[in-house]
Amino acid sequence: MRLEVTKRSGNVRLLLLGLALVLAGCERGRAPGQPSEKVEVADPRQVVDFATLYATNCAGCHGVRGEGGASIGLASRGYLAVAPDAAIREAISRGRPRTAMPAFGRSAGGLLSDAQVDALVKGIRAWAPDGLETSPDAPSYLATGPGDPARGEHVFREQCGSCHRPDGRGQASVGSIVDGAYLDLVTDQYLRTTIIAGREDLGSPGWRGVIGKPLSAQDVSDTVAWLAAQRQQIPGQPYPAARLTVNKP
Amino acid sequence: MRLLNRVSQWLDARLQLREPVTKVLEHPIPRKSASWFYVFGSAALTIFMLQVVTGVLLALLYVPSAADAWNGLQSMNHQVAAGWFIRALHGWGSNFMLAVVVIHMVQVFLFGAYKFPRELTWILGVFLLLVTLGMAFTGQVLRFDQDAYWGLGIGASISSRIPGVGGALVKLLLGGPIIAGATLSRFFALHVFVVPGLLIGFVALHLLLVIKLGINDWPMPGRVVRRSTYLQEYKELTHRDGMPFVPAGVGKDIIFSGAILLAIVACAFFLGPFGPGGQPDPTIIQTAPRPDFFFLWLYALLSFLPPAYETPFLLIGPAIGLIVLLVLPFVAGEGEKSWKRRPIAVLMVMLLAGVFGSLTQLGLHTPWSPVMDAWSGEPIPANFLVHRTPLERQGALVFQAKQCHTCHALEDRGGQRGPPLDAVAVRLTPDQLIRQVIQGGGNMPAYGKSLSPAETTALVAFMGTLHPPGQAPARDASQTVLYGKEP
Repeated sequence: MRLEVTKRSGNVRLLLLGLALVLAGCERGRAPGQPSEKVEVADPRQVVDFATLYATNCAGCHGVRGEGGASIGLASRGYLAVAPDAAIREAISRGRPRTAMPAFGRSAGGLLSDAQVDALVKGIRAWAPDGLETSPDAPSYLATGPGDPARGEHVFREQCGSCHRPDGRGQASVGSIVDGAYLDLVTDQYLRTTIIAGREDLGSPGWRGVIGKPLSAQDVSDTVAWLAAQRQQIPGQPYPAARLTVNKP
Repeated sequence: MRLLNRVSQWLDARLQLREPVTKVLEHPIPRKSASWFYVFGSAALTIFMLQVVTGVLLALLYVPSAADAWNGLQSMNHQVAAGWFIRALHGWGSNFMLAVVVIHMVQVFLFGAYKFPRELTWILGVFLLLVTLGMAFTGQVLRFDQDAYWGLGIGASISSRIPGVGGALVKLLLGGPIIAGATLSRFFALHVFVVPGLLIGFVALHLLLVIKLGINDWPMPGRVVRRSTYLQEYKELTHRDGMPFVPAGVGKDIIFSGAILLAIVACAFFLGPFGPGGQPDPTIIQTAPRPDFFFLWLYALLSFLPPAYETPFLLIGPAIGLIVLLVLPFVAGEGEKSWKRRPIAVLMVMLLAGVFGSLTQLGLHTPWSPVMDAWSGEPIPANFLVHRTPLERQGALVFQAKQCHTCHALEDRGGQRGPPLDAVAVRLTPDQLIRQVIQGGGNMPAYGKSLSPAETTALVAFMGTLHPPGQAPARDASQTVLYGKEP
């Protein structure tokens, strides 16, 4: 008789344990398998969630958290301080022709609606730390007039030469910034934005410079003009003809 | 109690079922056949009954219209009380049923139960497998989402290849040349009336034969089946060492069926229903549809077949498989039953398990399929970008923008259609890289027309950095002779 009692209480214990397990699996009265309230697989054309849009469209080049990667970091203070929303929206929806940035807007052949582009702009802007303001001394995002290459060479030598070498050919991993193929793949606006915003991820300081003398708008325009003047007519040739003739046996 | 007795006596006087039912329940089975290996048939029947019950409940709510089905499933998941659980039970029940049916079939094959006199039982079993697969396919279509939509498209495309009747068959299945309003009604009718009707009919015959011919005796090595003597031997065995099916033999069946039901309930409770996935809208192109688990092997097979082999494989392969299954009991109707004396049978099962298992595994990972958003969603690992020149960085950008990442992986991220490029610089010199990028080859398209010289130069400069730290990149020895130093 005693034995039977123990056996029964063992069964009850087992039942209670099972019940406890099931209840533990339920979160706030929901079974673990119960589908959550939102539609699990939304129509990709209707998604306006910034995290989803950024992860599928932007993270590949600009980094998972906007820290930069193959391309510039959109979350960097330097970039957010200088780039206006209109420019970011324009770049996303229409792309940057002659660069690797494709057009994502539906009007330009991409897959994103205007609402989705807006969500991206808003989300990127939200990365700006509190109190980040554009300094009144900062050069404008867009160039206001043509630059002077001769003066630009001087500015470059003074402001950029310590890392890029005075002739721009660089050293070790800094590499040449006057390489024909490189200059062919970037636009003047890209050079301008990079000079003003800097590349925090690569140790490039931006318009405030390193020699205690910030760059003016004209300095930036002139430097860009000098870099642009270094472009080659037929860039990207792996075997420059000159070297072939010189060393031909 | 007396009233109950009187009612049952009144009923039996008219129906006269007591005697035959008792006879069926108490039919003798060989003692050794009351084994844990002989429980899969009854488990399949139990799951089928669960499917009928949950299926009826779902049919009460399901809207078989292409416009409303998806929304209906969403509201079943979210609005109807316990609707998600019924869906989950039916979905998991379907997976368990297919699994149990396949295991049952393998067990029957390995235990030689298809041999004389149970040939017809086996043949009906083959039909039952086909009908169960039919239920799985039509059920997948009723879960009208992207997977269903494109799966249906593939099913229709396969049917259209049958010479002569292909076009008409597609029209019959889809209710027109394309997947439209009539399609879902047809599949609803198939899944709810036609196929279950066949299933019930086949199950009834299958069971009748099991009762008439008796459950298979436990295969003993050396106990050989002969058409002339088997029936007599079986009768003697059940008399000498037999017992009634109820209550002695049915215990293990009940326990196993109960365990399977509990497993289905647990899966439904903890893992939830299947889908619905994305909306079944062919204008949504950001999708990678994939069939349900039991058709993944076919998905993988179709992906690997060269186009010219598709039709013969699709039409002749299944026909041969079916003929082999149907002819098996007539070709091998006598002889040894024990798998210990049938090495070829065992090897066949292992071979088929290996083939289907590998194909399913491939179907799960789809290494042939480019990862369509890897170029924009999968960053280049940070350590490939440390200490890179501006040109090499632009090359990395070209790598992303021209969607190389979609087919080529870096640190196991990205597509697997092409070889991973983590150490490509060790394998190819810059010249070879230029040639490969521009001309393609080895399953890679030529990119010459979509890359400018500057882009090619940058891309090759970036790929030239893709080598392990301790390993030098490949170099062309002739360069040193030609230029004095390397370019």
